[in-house]
Order: sequence, then C-alpha cells, then structure tokens
Amino acid sequence: MRILVTTLAIIAAILGLILSILPFGPIALIPIVIAFVLGFIAFKMAQKNRANTKLIKIVFLITIIALVLSIYRSVFETNVVENDIETIKKEKQSKEDAIQELEGLEIED
Amino acid sequence: MKSFVLLLLCLSSIFIQSQNNAIGLNEKLVFTASYNMSGLLTDLAQVTMETSEVKTSNSTLLHLKGKARTYTKWDGFFKINDLYESYVNINSLKPYLYKRDINEGGYYKFMQYNYNHKTNTVKSLKRKRRGDGTFWEENKSLNISSNTKDIIATLYHIRNLDIDKATIGSSDTFTVLMDNEEFKITLTLLDKETIATNIGKKECFKLAISMNNNNLLKGNNDNLLWLTADDNKIPVYAKFKVPVGNGELRIQSATGLKN
Repeated sequence: MRILVTTLAIIAAILGLILSILPFGPIALIPIVIAFVLGFIAFKMAQKNRANTKLIKIVFLITIIALVLSIYRSVFETNVVENDIETIKKEKQSKEDAIQELEGLEIED
Repeated sequence: MKSFVLLLLCLSSIFIQSQNNAIGLNEKLVFTASYNMSGLLTDLAQVTMETSEVKTSNSTLLHLKGKARTYTKWDGFFKINDLYESYVNINSLKPYLYKRDINEGGYYKFMQYNYNHKTNTVKSLKRKRRGDGTFWEENKSLNISSNTKDIIATLYHIRNLDIDKATIGSSDTFTVLMDNEEFKITLTLLDKETIATNIGKKECFKLAISMNNNNLLKGNNDNLLWLTADDNKIPVYAKFKVPVGNGELRIQSATGLKN
C-alpha cells in the first residue's frame, strides 16, 4: 500500500512539474495538491513502518518546485499576443483587396 | 393631410430603426478568451473587435473586424490566428462583403461572400490548403433570404437592436450564413443583471443564444451573452459551450465607443 501511494505521489509530482512548465496556468495545481496529499500519507505510512522516507522527501521537493513555478507564472506572466509583421501585412492586404472588391459593388445609401 | 402625417411618421420610424445608434466608427473592444480545463479557466487567446471607416470611390462603408489570436505562450503548442471581416453599410449595417481567414494549428481556410441584395444572392469563394501545402478553390452562387447576414454583421446588428424595449423571456431569430449554409440563431432575453467587469460594474442584458440545425453550440441556455444595458450595448461577458468543451469571453478594454 505504501509503495502504491508513493508511486502515485511521484507520478502526480512529475505531472505537476510538467504542467507548471507548460502554459496550462492553474491546472497544474490539481496534480500538485494530489502529490502533496499522497506524499503526506506516504510519509506517515513510512514513519509508522520505520521505512526510508528519502524518496518521499524528493516528492515533496519536486512538488514545492512545481508549486513555486506555477504561482510565479500565474502572478508575473502576462498575457501577450505576438504582433508579427506577417499578420499586420496580411490584414493590410486583406483590406486593400476588399476595397477593390467593393469598388465593383452597388451599395445602397 | 392626416394620412400624409401618418405616412411621414411611419417612414421616420423605419428610418430611425435602420440607423446605427450603437456602434462607433473607431471602436475597439478587447477580450480574453478562456477555456475550461478540469474546472479551471485557462486564458487561451485574445479576441479583438474593431470598427473603422472604409472609403471606396463612390461610398463609405463600416469595416467590422474580428480577430482571435492565441497568447504567445500557447503559440508553440497550438497557434490560432483568425481574421473575420465584414464590410457593412454605415447606417443600416447591411453587409456587402465578408471575409474569413482562419489559421488554426496548421489548418487554413478562407471564405469570402460578396452580397448582392438586389437578387438576394451571395457569390461565395472558399479556399483551403491541402496536405501538400497547395491550395484549392471553390466558387459558388448561393440564394439567401433578404435578412441573411454573416456572423460578424449579425453580432453588430444585435447590438443595434432596441433590446431595452423587449420584455424578459422574449426572443428573436436571425439568419446567419456560415460555411455556405444558412442557420437560424435564436436570442432570448433572460434577465437584466449587474455584473462586475474589467471596465467597471455594468448593468447588462443577459441573453441566451441557441442555434437551430447546427451542433456548434451545445446545451440549453449554456451559451450566454451579456450586453451592457446602455446605448452602446457592448458585449462584456460571454459563456459558451462548444463540442470540444466550454469557456468564456471577458472584456479587457473598450475604446472609441459611440455613446
């Protein structure tokens, strides 16, 4: 049981770390919370059985890194849209083409 | 004399109804589109709606432009760069030209509608990209009803309606031309409520949108739109449920408003 809980905590912690690196925003908090809960249960189980807690401590470390990264990105990263020349040119060209198309049309006043 | 005055009154009321009272000539509305992932909203894209005047040699039209761009952080995973344009009569908002240029994660599609309101027809051009990078085109002539509009013109047309005169629970149906097919969109006024937005607390008309014969919008009363209950009737908040999930649209800024 302890091994199963520890394995699930490792998976959740790694998933949390991956999602906190990727731009998924607060969704990374779900596996982070799961990793914390499972890590705590696994830690208590290991203490009761006087087993090695080194691996569980690594899980906590990964989870804390993921949490800090996720919070940092949520607070400091702003939503920016790339203003590339290609898109500006495309919009300009589209408008020029439209004006040409509209020249031939009969428009009611 | 009496009938003349009556006729004049009728004509003036028609004229007033066909006037653009809500949309500014240099209006810019910026929104944030968020997608619901496991109950948590993730900001995905910026949606911009702009208006500007366009002059041809013999007339002036209103250029309605809608843009959807994914935030830079998403561009490496799934880049969206969509451009929707409609060129409409500056007073009646009657559309004359519609252009849709969508680029979504490598998928490209271009649509153009040239309206002919005298014959109630639309000259349609569809351009798509093949897997090998080459393009193919399809030209069609479509028969439309007299009040059919594209999606952008419909959105601005809704803003120009006298919603304040409508009663709670009343609905209106609009015909929209999308992908060379006509669809009916029904708008129901659900309530009038005050909501907090990024441009302040606004009293709004809460509208439910449903689409007949199309599965683009899912659910019953799951697609909602909040328009400010003032003369500008700007969309400040929207909730949508589409086949791939659900999300919302929140206003970030509004400039160049008419009223």
